[in-house]
Amino acid sequence: MSDVVDTGASGAAFEEIEHTADRALRIRGCNLEELLVNAARGLLNIMDPVPSAGGRTATRVIDLAAVDAETLLVNWLSELAFWAETEMLVFDRFEVEQISSTHLRAVARGGRADRLERHVKAVTFHNLDIVQTPHGLTATVVFDV
Amino acid sequence: MVGARDLKKIGDFLYEIPTSHRSDMRVPARFYADDRLLDGITGDRSLEQLVNTATLPGVVRYVLAMPDIHQGYGFPIGGVAATELPDGVISPGGVGYDINCGVRLLASPLEADAVQPHLDQLATVLYANCPSGVGQGGPVKLKPGELDEVMQNGARWALKRGFATEADLDRTEEGGCLAGADADRVSARARDRGRGQVGTLGAGNHFIEVDVVDRVQDEDTARRLGLFSGQVVAQIHCGSRGLGHQVCTDYVNLFQKTVRKYGLTLPDRELVCAPAGSPEGRNYLAAMQAAANYAFANRQVLAFHIRRSFEQVLAGRVKNHHLFQIYDIAHNMAKIESHTVDGRRLTLCVHRKGATRAFGPGSAVLPAAYRDIGQPVLVPGSMGTSSWVLVGTAGAMDQTFGSTCHGAGRTMSRHQAKRSVHGAGLREELETRGIKVRAGSLSGLAEEAPGAYKDVDRVVEVVHGAGIARRVARLTPLAVIKG
Repeated sequence: MSDVVDTGASGAAFEEIEHTADRALRIRGCNLEELLVNAARGLLNIMDPVPSAGGRTATRVIDLAAVDAETLLVNWLSELAFWAETEMLVFDRFEVEQISSTHLRAVARGGRADRLERHVKAVTFHNLDIVQTPHGLTATVVFDV
Repeated sequence: MVGARDLKKIGDFLYEIPTSHRSDMRVPARFYADDRLLDGITGDRSLEQLVNTATLPGVVRYVLAMPDIHQGYGFPIGGVAATELPDGVISPGGVGYDINCGVRLLASPLEADAVQPHLDQLATVLYANCPSGVGQGGPVKLKPGELDEVMQNGARWALKRGFATEADLDRTEEGGCLAGADADRVSARARDRGRGQVGTLGAGNHFIEVDVVDRVQDEDTARRLGLFSGQVVAQIHCGSRGLGHQVCTDYVNLFQKTVRKYGLTLPDRELVCAPAGSPEGRNYLAAMQAAANYAFANRQVLAFHIRRSFEQVLAGRVKNHHLFQIYDIAHNMAKIESHTVDGRRLTLCVHRKGATRAFGPGSAVLPAAYRDIGQPVLVPGSMGTSSWVLVGTAGAMDQTFGSTCHGAGRTMSRHQAKRSVHGAGLREELETRGIKVRAGSLSGLAEEAPGAYKDVDRVVEVVHGAGIARRVARLTPLAVIKG
């Protein structure tokens, strides 16, 4: 997979930022919904799964509450990393059913991976700030790998 | 970024960033380096992160970084910060996600020549017997309720299950069991992540190595530890796996609210914390100690698998293949310790994030056999280069709250390493040098390339020169096992 993924209007969906010990992504989206979906795709890019041949589709309904949008972003990515670690489930399609800065309900669809190239141990709050720009929202997330 | 102009050299290997650097600093920030390491240290944001830790409420004397310092998240890797109880804070980010990540060193009575003909097979059997890789579970099946026992009792649980000897526990930091652990403070999700992972290595920078003692720096101390030149030893580097990662995730998340409750202002949300004496602070400490105990148990079970592998390959082929434990140390931990600061004896919460406890001779918490030589300190280098065995010193007690370095320290990002190093080529290069490599992921191998790290010999020279640890012996790898 490439390290910069472009989705059009708001610029690159995510791009890798140099970080000495771990991995960092700058993520963009025209709104919070797109930011969260692009962040999930960036996480998938870091984990770099080898999909299971002929595996069945997996679906998870993810319902999260948080104190603010940054915490929601961390919780969302942590949830996806949890399924990857515990059941080797990786998701690449998302339907956001409800969203506010403190609540998310989404359906994630994907499948089982045979292997993940990289283990994402945790999603950090390091210098995390969702910033409004003329083109939408942007945030930089550091992952402990 | 903190630049050279912001630094004051106050010793041969010691620099200080005074409180005048930033108005929110409560204490100065100090770090250890020589001229060459200094260039790398000022090249990323690690000193800015160190300065951030100097703002923690209740922090005393100064915050510190070891010469293997590099950029992390919240705390820099290589950071040490001590806060005074009860109002000084405890910060989950000051321990990190891999709670009680640490190193264990086992030693054999064998010389390398005796093992060399069987090394290839030994590497293969170690890789097969020691589960590694992302999400990889292990063969240890816990009975209902047994995970609680692992978290409460750590290596003592392993002893009960036949994975350990009393001598192993005696030669483990805290005897392999932190007394304050409370499994009830660990979430269901953390338990889900940890239940199947006891006795597994994981991925990332964790490894098992078979090494040879290639240089003895201090014959007397080496002999006391049970080390000699040409000896075959084995190292384990890993921690508390998914359980520890989730404990940190849970409390960093929870403390986002706690800092508001206690009116704490911080420069980075990853530094969230609570007064160590508060209910929230005590709960985190008890959960962290439970995760730390899990890590002690994890390394103990891996040690069992390593012994089993040596038995499988070497029994009947060499005279004595039995491995005895030199020591097991943590390098991501918060400990409640007593230290003298400005002539006063204080009870402190000492955060070591990528730093090793290095208590000097005379410390009552050391095993009787080591009490007069100081605590063994195990410093793994980058893959394919050296590792070191050091001992703690009185200088560390005076200068660093009894702490020293934990490894080589990265200089190159994983992303950059992956772009510039080819995993298969690296494996071939290591094999050409006679180092057997077994790795689940070639890109993971590339990220851990030796060139992505500082020169560990130089890092160790600095801590030795500064008097915060003393060199005993150097190890070089014969076989490397990675996830």
